[in-house]
Amino acid sequence: MKKKSDWKVHLLALVMVIIAEAIGTKSFKLGPGNVLLLPMLYALVIGMFLPSLKLVDRDDMEIASPYIGLSVMFLTAKMGTNIGPNLSKIFSAGPALILQEFGNLGTIFFALPVAVLVFRMGREAIGVSFSNSREGSLAIISDLYGLDSDEGVGVMGGYITGTLFGAIYSGLLAGVIISTGLFHPYALAMAAGTGSASMMAAAMGPTIAAYPEMETELSAFAATSQLLTSVDGLYMSLFMGIPLTEWLYRKLGGKPAAGKSGKEAAK
Amino acid sequence: MKFSQAFRIFVISGILALIGNFIGFKINPIDALPGMVILLILVVAGYAVSRVSPIKLPSIAYISALAIIASIPGVPGADLVVKYVNNVQFLALCTPILSYAGISIGKDMDSFKKQGAKIVVVTLLALTGTYVGSAIIAHLVLKLTGAI
Repeated sequence: MKKKSDWKVHLLALVMVIIAEAIGTKSFKLGPGNVLLLPMLYALVIGMFLPSLKLVDRDDMEIASPYIGLSVMFLTAKMGTNIGPNLSKIFSAGPALILQEFGNLGTIFFALPVAVLVFRMGREAIGVSFSNSREGSLAIISDLYGLDSDEGVGVMGGYITGTLFGAIYSGLLAGVIISTGLFHPYALAMAAGTGSASMMAAAMGPTIAAYPEMETELSAFAATSQLLTSVDGLYMSLFMGIPLTEWLYRKLGGKPAAGKSGKEAAK
Repeated sequence: MKFSQAFRIFVISGILALIGNFIGFKINPIDALPGMVILLILVVAGYAVSRVSPIKLPSIAYISALAIIASIPGVPGADLVVKYVNNVQFLALCTPILSYAGISIGKDMDSFKKQGAKIVVVTLLALTGTYVGSAIIAHLVLKLTGAI
């Protein structure tokens, strides 16, 4: 990193926080439910316009990048203090919390068929479908296939999409799912903990807004699920996610990797 | 990153959250300050432990563990921790994170534009899958075990 002062970055962040919080939370009707727009989403959107307004350059972007991870730690601490008082509730919900971790494999069944059958993607489909494409997923793919491989291109695309739109999309998705009334708020809170702090926060916003009287329990369930994912995510992907994705890819008739036997694509 | 640099960012980030907490939630920064200082102590302690601990785990694992222990009923001071931290709103802590994310987002834009809309659609389907998949299992198991 260059020897450049980071005060501009902090001042910009301050202005973004002030503007975003001053606008405040807005909700509007979309289909069956209410969609919540939260200050954090405005902050992200303001950020997307900064380069075209010539307010930030490459150096500023590089400077700001590690600050994301550092400021996430406050959120982690806050959520931890919600777990302590709710430990007994969490133990009684234990089986659900642990088993819902397998729901993270849902990425494969939602994404892979469309990637292979509709978009005719090659093995990029495996990289983008086996997980929610966060940092850990980059590490796994780079280890197994290399980031220059087709699978690597897929997971990078997923990573960038998630970074850009993941929070916004998670907030909208959670709002829509909440409005269906199909799920208990505890289940929705557990589902929000998928391994990405910003996506979890975005999915929890509308959940807490819809059930404000349950805020501490909901936050505790989300944080515990998040914690579980950070512990088991790597193993889940390595031993279940990747093999399952490879298997389904062959079943769907996906193109074999260059240089591999065509037998894999026989089905 | 040096510890002192990280500490400086923690303090700045905490101040940003206090300001957002005031503007967005009308909570006087004086009232929210004790809670924010508690959070800062937990963050700094967890971060420090992760740097010296022989067990290599991400800082958030240690921070989370410390925060859980500090808030378990019966642990000395736990009631005060919970009471003061309640004055710092969850959503107010999210806004500074996404402000920094917003500032840095431009650097990923170029490589992203080359990939086209397919990858966006498939990624969003994947995100839908993990959320809905987890919600279905959690809901069913909560029902079956009689927790709800």
